[in-house]
Amino acid sequence: MKEIDIPIEASVDRNRTNPLARVFDELVRFCRSRSMFMLHYCTGCGAIELPPAMTSRFDMERLGIQPMVTPRQADILLITGYVSIKTLKRVILTYEQMGSPKYVIGICSCTVNGGMYWQSYATAKQLDQYLPVDLYIAGCMPRPEAVLEGMRKLMDRIRSGEADGWKDYYRRYDWYLGNQQHLFGDDWQTPADVIGEASHYDLAGPGTEGEHTRLLQQCQKPLEPQQTFFQIGGSLEVKGESHE
Amino acid sequence: MSIQTLLMELVLMPLVAFVVGLFMVLMLRRIGAKLQRRVGPPVMQPLYDIVKLYGKKTQISHGWMHDIGIVMAVGGYVAAETLLPVPGMDGIADKGGLVTLVYVMMIPSLGLALGVGQCANPNGSIGIARALTAMLAYDVPFVIVVFGVAWYFGTTNLVDIIAIQQAGGVAGWGATAMPLLAIAGLFALQGMLGKQPFEIYIAPAEIATGPMVEMSGKYLGGLFVMQCFQLYTAGVLYVSLFLGGGENWLFFLLKVFAVVAIPMTVAFLFPRYKTEQMIRLMWKWPVMIGLLGLAFVMH
Amino acid sequence: MTPLDELLLFSGLTLVFLLLLGRFSYAGKVATVFYGGQLLFLAKMADRIVDGSIVTFSLQVELFGQQMSWRFDALSWFFAVITLGAGLLSSWYASGEWGERFRRRGGNLWLLNVALAANVFSMLILLGSGDLLALFIGWELVSWASFLLMTVAGGRAIQAAMRYITYAMSGAMAILAGIVLLWSHAGGLQYGQIIEVIPQLSQAQVWLLVALFGSGFAVKMGLLPFHLWQAAAYAETPGPGAAFFGAISARMGLYAIILVLVQLIGLARLSELMIPFTFLDMRDLWAWIAVLTIILPTYIALRQSDARYLLAWHGIGQGGYMLLGLVMGDALGSAGGLLHVFNYATNQAVLFFAVFAVMFRTGTADLNKLGGLITRMPISFFAMLVGIIGLAGLPPMNGFVSKWFVYRSLMIEGEPLLFLGAIIGTLGTILSVYKLIHNTFLGQLRVEHVEVREAPWSMVAPMIILMLLIFATGVAPGLVLDWVALVQSAVGLPVVENTLGGVELASGSLDMLWVVGVLFAGFGIGALLFYSGGRTRQVHQLDNYAGGHFLTAEIRYHYSDNFYAGLMHLIRPWYRGSFVWLESTLGSLLGIAASLIQRLYGALHPSIYLLVTVVVTLTWVLL
Repeated sequence: MKEIDIPIEASVDRNRTNPLARVFDELVRFCRSRSMFMLHYCTGCGAIELPPAMTSRFDMERLGIQPMVTPRQADILLITGYVSIKTLKRVILTYEQMGSPKYVIGICSCTVNGGMYWQSYATAKQLDQYLPVDLYIAGCMPRPEAVLEGMRKLMDRIRSGEADGWKDYYRRYDWYLGNQQHLFGDDWQTPADVIGEASHYDLAGPGTEGEHTRLLQQCQKPLEPQQTFFQIGGSLEVKGESHE
Repeated sequence: MSIQTLLMELVLMPLVAFVVGLFMVLMLRRIGAKLQRRVGPPVMQPLYDIVKLYGKKTQISHGWMHDIGIVMAVGGYVAAETLLPVPGMDGIADKGGLVTLVYVMMIPSLGLALGVGQCANPNGSIGIARALTAMLAYDVPFVIVVFGVAWYFGTTNLVDIIAIQQAGGVAGWGATAMPLLAIAGLFALQGMLGKQPFEIYIAPAEIATGPMVEMSGKYLGGLFVMQCFQLYTAGVLYVSLFLGGGENWLFFLLKVFAVVAIPMTVAFLFPRYKTEQMIRLMWKWPVMIGLLGLAFVMH
Repeated sequence: MTPLDELLLFSGLTLVFLLLLGRFSYAGKVATVFYGGQLLFLAKMADRIVDGSIVTFSLQVELFGQQMSWRFDALSWFFAVITLGAGLLSSWYASGEWGERFRRRGGNLWLLNVALAANVFSMLILLGSGDLLALFIGWELVSWASFLLMTVAGGRAIQAAMRYITYAMSGAMAILAGIVLLWSHAGGLQYGQIIEVIPQLSQAQVWLLVALFGSGFAVKMGLLPFHLWQAAAYAETPGPGAAFFGAISARMGLYAIILVLVQLIGLARLSELMIPFTFLDMRDLWAWIAVLTIILPTYIALRQSDARYLLAWHGIGQGGYMLLGLVMGDALGSAGGLLHVFNYATNQAVLFFAVFAVMFRTGTADLNKLGGLITRMPISFFAMLVGIIGLAGLPPMNGFVSKWFVYRSLMIEGEPLLFLGAIIGTLGTILSVYKLIHNTFLGQLRVEHVEVREAPWSMVAPMIILMLLIFATGVAPGLVLDWVALVQSAVGLPVVENTLGGVELASGSLDMLWVVGVLFAGFGIGALLFYSGGRTRQVHQLDNYAGGHFLTAEIRYHYSDNFYAGLMHLIRPWYRGSFVWLESTLGSLLGIAASLIQRLYGALHPSIYLLVTVVVTLTWVLL
């Protein structure tokens, strides 16, 4: 695996001179921190600690944290426990399907360094090699208090704008993709178009594209065009006519 | 009525509906929390959720019908609110009436159904298929109720219906005159709000929240707004038909919140029924009660 | 020459032109212009119709000592407008690439065009009939013209057409019997004579008359229990023909019902006829037939997996609303019923056009083999959307207004069960049409349809016209309600007091201008709210939630089959196919009777000859 050789640049947000816009940004950040929909990807024992955190003993809903069902609806991806190589593919797909801003929390030692699966051939050891992890909650397993403490920490970081792992994923996509390709092989691809998304939302950085994304484009199976055609008419001979 | 007052009412009525709806969502979540011995969310939580969803950086669309569907879902309810009289404001209630209101309330669902359809997710399509089936189930008792009320008051104009009830005091309320229909109406209300045990089309653990499966950012935010309107509309409609509408805002809001609290409380005490169980239940008890009530009203 | 002379002559000319020169490639386009000309002649008649006067046909024929005459009143005019409108748009649809393709595939385009012209011509003759004999002749012409159009496709269409003509002939016999009955009492078949003689007839005689005429006309309309022939016969007809049939053809039955039951016999007389052993009278019976016609075919439509059949079954069901409104007999109800004839025609035509546009491009109407075409055929999608909103009767399209009228009439008259039945039908329609649009245009686009493009202009233009018409008459139903009011006064029904936006009633009015205005203002606010949120980005359809599964184009990720599984789980046992069973039982009983007679004849064969020989010999001997 290559070492990190891409300089981590400071986040350069657009300078918003309009004071109202700054107030608005502040409001949105505040609401983001007070309303966190989480998708929990529960592979291991860490999942056991989540129900008490959600139910009457600790009641996460006090902080505006709610469980959600699909990646589209969620803001936080909660990875509780070890990630095998097979499941990591699904985790990455799930992460890429979430709407930004999105945050990844790694719970338990397994996500930090592989934990008790350190010697396993089939387990990804360090989650942050593949996804931008905003927060680790270490422990084997961390108690609900620790989970809540971590959530509060994340809330503060979102509020202050420090939790920007999702921007890092767009900016240094090539690096993340390289690590993913290293693990899954050269033909690794997801249906989500991260580069297109990054350029659409002005989130691309110098590390968005590189040798690994070029490899991706070489190996990628092209998807059928999806845009709407408003053109009326066209040729009479169309596909599908033959098997009528 | 001058044009200015009318325009102001048309703007104010949906706005009030939205604000009241936010508090209804809060009440819904607080009731759930209380029943589960939790604290529940803070007061502004529904607003935080909506602002956050609209403020998401990436907004994932599946095509233009997906967008228009959300516009229709919110816009249809905005229009429906102006057909629903509240204390001091009648809007254009006398231009449409009860039957029109019932049909305008289907527009948001239609928009949502079309939007979900373009998401190309079978979970969503199953959700819509179930939602439409549920509509078929609860609308049967609901139209019996609507018919009974319109027959009893001799009009479908909601302004008149409310005025007649208020003239008679509590004894003149629809619920006093038509208790059986009021009960059938409660059943229909439970189905209409899609709360347990009739929550079949959301079914998070089974079809991944059905219609909402591909909704993110402002799409989901739009549905949250729609939920505020939906709770408000259902509550106010029931109050207008059976509890004499609103003499003033205080009593009006008290009644509306009380009515909406019933299905919410019931919801957290029940598991989820299967689709066919829901239809069977809806077509049996509320319909029987409703028809009996109708027979009393008409003879 | 009266305008009616011009109209009928021109319509006949269209038919002759197509017969003689229909094989030229431009014939379809010229015929479309001809239909437009016929509409102009109809428009020329409008001022006389508005005056309430009757436009007569100059030619009068005497047959069997009976004077036959033709004339147009408001009722005929109203139906003729819809007929010619449907004919014009169907012909337009067929005149371009659709017809070209149809011919290249071995279809007989000439026959299709001729049959369409023959249908329009015969329907105009029927609508103009000025006495019962002319009515009967027109009726027969329409039946055979329909039969001709149904057989154009060949194959399964022939079977369906044979079934239709069997029903139609039995119906015609019933009508003929009714006419004979009337003739024996009145001594003539002029409408005036019949109106005079009806009050003198005994209850039993009127009962018989209503049964004979009613069942005869109900066949064309597809009312229960004579509904079985219609769906297959209409659905198997090629595109424009199906749209024309769907829009107006079955409504000839309604025209005749209005003419005979409402105008000649009168709804009041129907209420006096009691059904033996029940507390129902004849009018209730008709109302209940209407409601059952709404419910049963609609729920049969819900089970169809072929878009054409689904629409055709709905066509039968929607006829129930028209009859129901009419039988209510008050101003509101009958206005709703008549208005629905127009509204439904526009909806059904646009729906058939959209379905056949999809078929034109993809080669199938099977709802399990389509999906996701919205990005490829957006205008057809929009046409179908407008059509289904109208067919399901939701605002802001015109279907809502006519159904609202019927509902309000049922509410005012105090008919809770009929009301409930009508609503159940509407709900079933909503379910069914959502399935139609979802399985065709929404959901996942199949790999084989990636190259599909929107239909050509010749097919899109009629759809756009119909869409505009549906929306305009939804916002301002007063436009059509003015005509409906004329019809009501012409047939002696109470006349609806309409406004441009609907109707003013003390007990709750309707103003569509306001309702639609506010609805679109609401959409505007919704759009404002929506577009104030962040920038959207369209993702690929395979970038979709599948529980972490990686979707590829080969994976069918679309829900289409058994669409309402939960509902069907409950109601599937209720589909007993009783009417199919009844029909096949009748058929086999007839078969058994026929073979018995044949056997009898065969068994008697030798002895008859023996007997004849003996008799002849004896006679010869004796003589």
